[in-house]
Amino acid sequence: MNKKVFFPFVLILVSCLFCGLALSQTGTKKKRPLPYEYGRVVIDNYSNKADLAPVVFEHWIHRSMFTCRVCHVDIGFAMKAGATDIKAADNAHGYYCGTCHNGKMVADGKPVFQACSRKASMDDEKRCERCHSYGLKVASDFDFFQFSQPLPKERFGNGLDWEKSEELGLINPATFLPGVSPKKNSLVVQKDFALNAKVEGMPDIIFSHKKHTVWNGCELCHPDIFIGVKRGTVKYSMVDISQGKSCGACHTTVAFPLTDCQRCHTKAVQP
Amino acid sequence: MVNPTFFKGKFFTARLVTTTVSTTIIAALLFLGLAGLCAVPAIGEPSASAAQADTTQESWRTEFDNVCAKTEDAMTFSQEELMDLIRRCDTLQPRIEKLDESRKKVFLERLRKCRGLYAYVLDAKTKEKN
Amino acid sequence: MAACGILFLADFVSAQIYLPKPAPAPSEYGKVILDNYAGAEPGAVVFDHWLHRSKFTCRVCHVDVGFAMEAKATGIKASTNREGFHCGACHDGKRVFEGKTVFAACSDAAHDQQCDRCHSLGKKGVRKYEYKEYTAKFPKGIYGVNWEVAERSGVIKPIDFIEGLSVKKAPMKSREDFTVQANYSWVHPIEFSHEKHSIWNGCELCHPEIFPTAKKGTVSYSMFSNIEGRYCGACHGKVAFPLNNCQGCHAKAPSWVP
Repeated sequence: MNKKVFFPFVLILVSCLFCGLALSQTGTKKKRPLPYEYGRVVIDNYSNKADLAPVVFEHWIHRSMFTCRVCHVDIGFAMKAGATDIKAADNAHGYYCGTCHNGKMVADGKPVFQACSRKASMDDEKRCERCHSYGLKVASDFDFFQFSQPLPKERFGNGLDWEKSEELGLINPATFLPGVSPKKNSLVVQKDFALNAKVEGMPDIIFSHKKHTVWNGCELCHPDIFIGVKRGTVKYSMVDISQGKSCGACHTTVAFPLTDCQRCHTKAVQP
Repeated sequence: MVNPTFFKGKFFTARLVTTTVSTTIIAALLFLGLAGLCAVPAIGEPSASAAQADTTQESWRTEFDNVCAKTEDAMTFSQEELMDLIRRCDTLQPRIEKLDESRKKVFLERLRKCRGLYAYVLDAKTKEKN
Repeated sequence: MAACGILFLADFVSAQIYLPKPAPAPSEYGKVILDNYAGAEPGAVVFDHWLHRSKFTCRVCHVDVGFAMEAKATGIKASTNREGFHCGACHDGKRVFEGKTVFAACSDAAHDQQCDRCHSLGKKGVRKYEYKEYTAKFPKGIYGVNWEVAERSGVIKPIDFIEGLSVKKAPMKSREDFTVQANYSWVHPIEFSHEKHSIWNGCELCHPEIFPTAKKGTVSYSMFSNIEGRYCGACHGKVAFPLNNCQGCHAKAPSWVP
């Protein structure tokens, strides 16, 4: 066997041996984020290039004050980390984070700190670190324990029943941002409907449009996340969902996670 | 009948020069006047142009807000109304593409979502009819 | 000649990877060493499954508390324990269990510190419970305690609900047992019992993370992946009965004698 064939042959053989090990991603139970970590998004499009730590965005603070639609439709954030392509200039001009983080908007009786000012100096370091905090020990204005104390609890995710919290009036997410959101009429709600589970014995899913549209409106999901127009034409498998498609766009990282089966599979199985 | 001696001698030359100068002056005055008349519609008065620019600036935003405020009612519209909204979105797109980087990025995405929803609902209604 | 040599080497190397290793001694089986942050002082944590699984179902720790199923993957820190997460969910110095207060994990108070009870790697005489004495009365199998029989006979009564942590949910109907055909025709099929698994695991422990629910036959669960610690191997490699116990799954297979 000449050298030209020998080495590639060995290389291929060795690669085949270790190929399986290298590719193993599924089939194990990974670390579950702690309640205050759930919904955390790390954004690092340009931070490193600007010599700043990547941005850490906590969903729980923001979702208690705003509906999903305000940020993901009216302001225009994407639904995947890094996909929005936020730049300091965008923030400084009053877009994306800068829509509210402009030093002028008032929330909780205090002005909201400014994100990415046009001319940053060394004194601004503390302010920059409020967001650019990945790997740093930065004290937050908001404490998850204090925040979550009065709220009704659920399992998994943030450990909170966000739905019930809103029902009870303990949180009041805003649906409108002046100067940003177009003035809309009240929503014509679509009916709830059942989705048949493919697996025999699994309770059917009762999907509530009302519960979803209260926070999302229509265009957050349609057609980007749910493209099918006729019920029953698109099959949603748990494999796809756990990879972030359809329901998994929210129910893997921010809304209650997939491990909570009965939250969706609610229809009692007929005996 | 002009006297032939009219065109001879120093006197004639002086008179010719005077005539040429006055002609030039009159012609120049006429030209400026004409140019002035044309310029007003071309350039416009300073205050009028600023106002015009303002309305151009804000009009795309007003149109955007008008078109995309209706997404929550999308299911109640007829197919013609939806097609009209989609057409208005398509008209808005080139106007938004001319904006600065930040606004272009934000509003193109918002427009895409808004147009996408109308197209989606139109598709649903069309399939339902058939 | 060289080709033969290469092939032999490849065979030898692949055998190291693809055959289940001999199972460790019963007292060592299920031992998890955690040394993410402990360093030299107070030293790595030794977690023995046999003590906790005799008292709690797998579900309580791996679903309600939220531990990962790979060593060191959870990323437990002293600070998270003190906050009441992970070990601190029970080991908080307040919870009363079996008439005694459960000691606080990573306690701040100097008089309350019992570090060596967990940070016991390489240290002798610091642990409260020892395997031999603790499991003396438990029914035994080939590879140590037969946990299934222990529970059925009532010797152990694993708890499935922790006050203040677990959330009561309407029970879901357990699926029927079914047979899984092996990839090779000469291997006996696997008799899989959902009921036996869901008593301890519920549904959420396995689904959808370990077993993404897919149409039967679309996902291939091979012995290779089991030995790597995926799918069945997530439990049946380190904690539940080991893969060496062929008849545990391949029920009708005869004992294989080399």
